[in-house]
Amino acid sequence: MSTVEEPRTEARRWVGQSVPRKEDPKLLTGRAGFIGDVVLPGMLHGAVLRSPHAHARIVSIDTSEAEALPGVVVVLTGATAAEHVDPMPAFCAEPVEQRAIAVERVRYPGEAVAAVAATDRYVAEDACERIRVEYEVLPALVDPVAAMDPSATRVHETLDSNIVFHRSLDWGEVDADLARAHTVVRSSARWHRMGAHPIETAGAVASWDPFGQSMTVYSNSNFINFLPWAFAGILRVSTNRLRMIPCAVGGSFGSKHLITKVISITGALSKACGRPVQYLEDRADNVAANDNVGCDRIYDAELALAEDGEMLGLVLRIIDDYGAYFQFAHGQHGNAVAQPVGPYRIGSVRYDVSCVLTNKVQQGFFRGAGADPGNFILERLVDKAALEMGIDRVELRRRNFVQPDQFPYKIPTGNIYDSGDYEAVLDRALEIAGLDGWRTEQERLRAEGRYLGIGLATCQERSGYNASEWWFLYGDEAPLPATSTPESCKIDVDAMGGVRATIGCPLWGNSPETVVGQVVAEEFGIDPSAVSVVYADSTSGAISAGPGGSRVTIMLSGATRGAARTVRDKMVRVAASAMEMDPEDVECVDGVFRAKGVPGTSMTMAEVGMRAHLFNDGTSEAESSGLVAVHTYDHPYFTPPTDDRSDLGAFYPMVSHACHIPIVEVDPETGEVTLRAYYVVNDCGTVMNPALVEGQVVGGIVLGIGAALMEEYRYGADDGALETPTLREYLLPSMHEVPEIVLEHLETPSPFTTYGVKGAGEGGRLVAPTAIASAVDDALRPFGVWVDELPMTPERVVGMIADARGDQR
Amino acid sequence: MKPAPFEYAGPRELDEALDLLAEHGDDARVLAGGQSLVRLMNARQVSPAVVVDINRVPGLDTLGLFGDNGSSTLRLGATVRQRTSELSDEVAAHAPLLAEAGAQVAHAPVRARGTVVGSVAFADPSAELPAALLALDGLVKVRSRAAERTVAADDFFTGPFRTSLAPDEMVVAVDVPVATGRTGSAFVELTRRHGDLPVCGAAAVVGVGDDGRVSHVRVALCGADERPVRVPAVEAAVLGADDPAAFTEAAAVAADGTSPIPSCHGSADFRRHLARVLTARALRTAFARATSPKETTDA
Ligand SMILES: Cc1cc2nc3c(=O)[nH]c(=O)nc-3n(C[C@H](O)[C@H](O)[C@H](O)COP(=O)(O)OP(=O)(O)OC[C@H]3O[C@@H](n4cnc5c(N)ncnc54)[C@H](O)[C@@H]3O)c2cc1C
Repeated sequence: MSTVEEPRTEARRWVGQSVPRKEDPKLLTGRAGFIGDVVLPGMLHGAVLRSPHAHARIVSIDTSEAEALPGVVVVLTGATAAEHVDPMPAFCAEPVEQRAIAVERVRYPGEAVAAVAATDRYVAEDACERIRVEYEVLPALVDPVAAMDPSATRVHETLDSNIVFHRSLDWGEVDADLARAHTVVRSSARWHRMGAHPIETAGAVASWDPFGQSMTVYSNSNFINFLPWAFAGILRVSTNRLRMIPCAVGGSFGSKHLITKVISITGALSKACGRPVQYLEDRADNVAANDNVGCDRIYDAELALAEDGEMLGLVLRIIDDYGAYFQFAHGQHGNAVAQPVGPYRIGSVRYDVSCVLTNKVQQGFFRGAGADPGNFILERLVDKAALEMGIDRVELRRRNFVQPDQFPYKIPTGNIYDSGDYEAVLDRALEIAGLDGWRTEQERLRAEGRYLGIGLATCQERSGYNASEWWFLYGDEAPLPATSTPESCKIDVDAMGGVRATIGCPLWGNSPETVVGQVVAEEFGIDPSAVSVVYADSTSGAISAGPGGSRVTIMLSGATRGAARTVRDKMVRVAASAMEMDPEDVECVDGVFRAKGVPGTSMTMAEVGMRAHLFNDGTSEAESSGLVAVHTYDHPYFTPPTDDRSDLGAFYPMVSHACHIPIVEVDPETGEVTLRAYYVVNDCGTVMNPALVEGQVVGGIVLGIGAALMEEYRYGADDGALETPTLREYLLPSMHEVPEIVLEHLETPSPFTTYGVKGAGEGGRLVAPTAIASAVDDALRPFGVWVDELPMTPERVVGMIADARGDQR
Repeated sequence: MKPAPFEYAGPRELDEALDLLAEHGDDARVLAGGQSLVRLMNARQVSPAVVVDINRVPGLDTLGLFGDNGSSTLRLGATVRQRTSELSDEVAAHAPLLAEAGAQVAHAPVRARGTVVGSVAFADPSAELPAALLALDGLVKVRSRAAERTVAADDFFTGPFRTSLAPDEMVVAVDVPVATGRTGSAFVELTRRHGDLPVCGAAAVVGVGDDGRVSHVRVALCGADERPVRVPAVEAAVLGADDPAAFTEAAAVAADGTSPIPSCHGSADFRRHLARVLTARALRTAFARATSPKETTDA
């Protein structure tokens, strides 16, 4: 199915402007209403006792001392929680059961073993300290390669092996391309576990009504209007008796799609005591046990090239450490195959993936969602090919870019790239970076014994996912082969002409209110500040997959425009009837309904509103009273996969592109990498709001700097203990590590979406890590360093130099 | 991340504070700037029954010189903030190493609360200020209800987060003898991010005689051993040198015999490597500053 946007004719007034952010005043004054602000009468506070061991059998739990503590109302273990709630919903086909509170066995450090509800959080934590758990420690699986050994201890007895999923797919003639290649470059790569760390952790307030057998849940989850029935399933509440209310979300970066464990624990506590309970992860809970970690991959990759540098085929063999559970299946690889070939015309792809279980918290979704290491390995291969073949890295890219006249372009896996002009982006990036100046500076510093490096990466940002990416790597056995990712908006214009938009997606730290305001303003010609935007709860039917996969502006602008136009068209008809004209002759300009070309005759929004609400003329042709429309915008360009998966279909076709040029200085003695400058040219189609897009791109680059230089979950090699339990060990970049970022846009509008917008939420993080790796490489070229592992910590950089020199270490 | 129940005491006199420590011993903890203690309590890594807040005790905020002109000493009382020390003209003039090391501790808001003495008493093996105090031949002034004693910094630090302080004692001040003659100092460190605790840091004080040769030298490291340490082997090798090249050579032994505590920010081997690199840099800069006071960066 495809919808093609009509060519842009009229000038736009609000779309494309840096309209001030509607969300700012309430956020800046602390009035947004986060989950921590929700207080219900009689509400208790939860705390969770977590396993200190990576892998252990729970021999016994004694909660009596905790229960005796004044202020403690209920203590639940895995077994007693199971009397109230069911296991987590699983999107995987494999029999891997996960409960929010472990029963009999803990499988990762930080897994919940008991939960308490008490009169305040202090008492709840005092009670946790008084719970006696006897563990029988089991061998911890830390190394994914070791975990693949058939003799390794199994993380789940229900599985035959810790390789929970394996699949190898060829698209195109991979073997033939390897055989005819002039050069095959090969690189391994290690992309370590990193995770999303929003300021606000995951949390919920659950209130169980034992008489109505109903539950109200406030939370900062995203999927409340997408999969509310899945929450009802865990909470053991009938779907039509569960009401989920969104709160403003203090950041997510992908980590709060479901937060099923938090909601399950809170719901179980509330059911057990019949009172409202709030449970908000603290930082220790969040770092250890939120499903906020992203990919943890080992690559063995090959790129086959013809003599002139034409890229022929790509082989990616991947071992991915998924941790102890597999709730979301291998969705991160569905994501990666949206753009494995990057912006290049690579004819064939082999994708061989093994998902391995170990004793770590399970993978969830984190900004980039699987395409992040994909961009890293591909750009590393391209740089390596340039080096090995003696072709300039810029020239090699130019020779292989998909050309502007080839769009929409179908890549070997079946996904479609909608539009782009990659060479124009590259040229402009080289220009704004002032590359020649930096080369001169590099030479000057090298004479002083200092090492400056210039990085370059040209990458894709797939955006607007379709649910098929979750399951198409399965054959027939996908448990939930969903094909919808809707987004909804309801617009109502009241009798006084006031416009209200009700949206299904929550405020996740991005700017849905601003975007909706701009779109409504565009369609009615009114000021965006006049539009009020409210968030729907799960009883309103505003189905919405919400933010994720850089989709929300694409989808929300589609939903909003659809609803706005339906209402506007009805208002045109109402106005026409009142003015005794043909609707064809009435137009809506600047919020006024007027006769085309006859400025004298017009009606205001309020006049039309009042007429539509109170003055039905009783004739059979009359419009029904009221001005309300709900528009659900489905994925604008989705095609299903073929049965044999030789074509995965179009599932992520709005493809943004960027060229990043970071400048770094490396101290080869201490291994310290300092960013000196950063240049970006970005193409995310029509820029809906430049200020918002800048925030997304810059924020994404900051996370990319973290990925390149500091972020990493580490586990003890022997005991599997989490060595990065707080933000003192797990390092996030601060403003001091971020250089000024020079950003420009090029716009190649998407032919598939409303106004031509594409996604911009993940691009910064999708490109920066590999760009910075290439900069470090460039800086350390005199030593012959090849970066194949992130993050480039000082110790790794010093080690890479020593390895390259062949030093004894 | 909520602390276990505790009692809070806010003594208004030093004796009152010392009485509380005498009474509660190990169950009590002094609260100075709270920049480490509060975090540890929130994580329940320490759960004192009584917290003795010394911030209202008069007289502990002394910062100044005392002694006759022959041998003057810079004193910093127990509630002198790191930020105050860093910005103090007297510290800049008489113990610039303390200012330079202090400016590398955390971020300004943390330093506005954290105290110099608190950092010394906490004895984090990675912290800057204990290493600086060692390089400055600093003294730790200790009081209990019963007695008063002065401990050389080198005898004060006994292990990771361990000192020779008895449970009924507190530190009332640190003293730094003021150097005379042509002296330069430097503090260099590697941090993972701006404001983080160093993976490793090196403090150097170099005095130069009339002949242009090194006549006095102190080198101290943080992050390189189980406690902040002096490096006598390097000091001995540098004494009498007049050529910066000698410093690099001398620094090669900076990590001999040390037992760095590995962490996710650096293995023991990497810390040893850094100890050598940073020792050389600190010495070169300190020497350059001693010989040409305008020199401020690594030579
Ligand atoms: C974000 C952040 C970053 C930081 N970065 C650094 C860094 O880069 N380098 C660094 O060195 N530190 C760093 N710190 C720690 C900080 O510098 C602390 O201030 C310092 O370690 C302790 O000083 P304080 O006055 O806050 O002591 P407190 O936290 O009040 O006390 C620390 C310990 O010392 C004891 N104590 C304090 N004063 C006395 C006394 N007079 N007598 C006996 N015992 C006493 C306390 O009982 C406690 O055990 C950082 C802290 C934060 C929050």
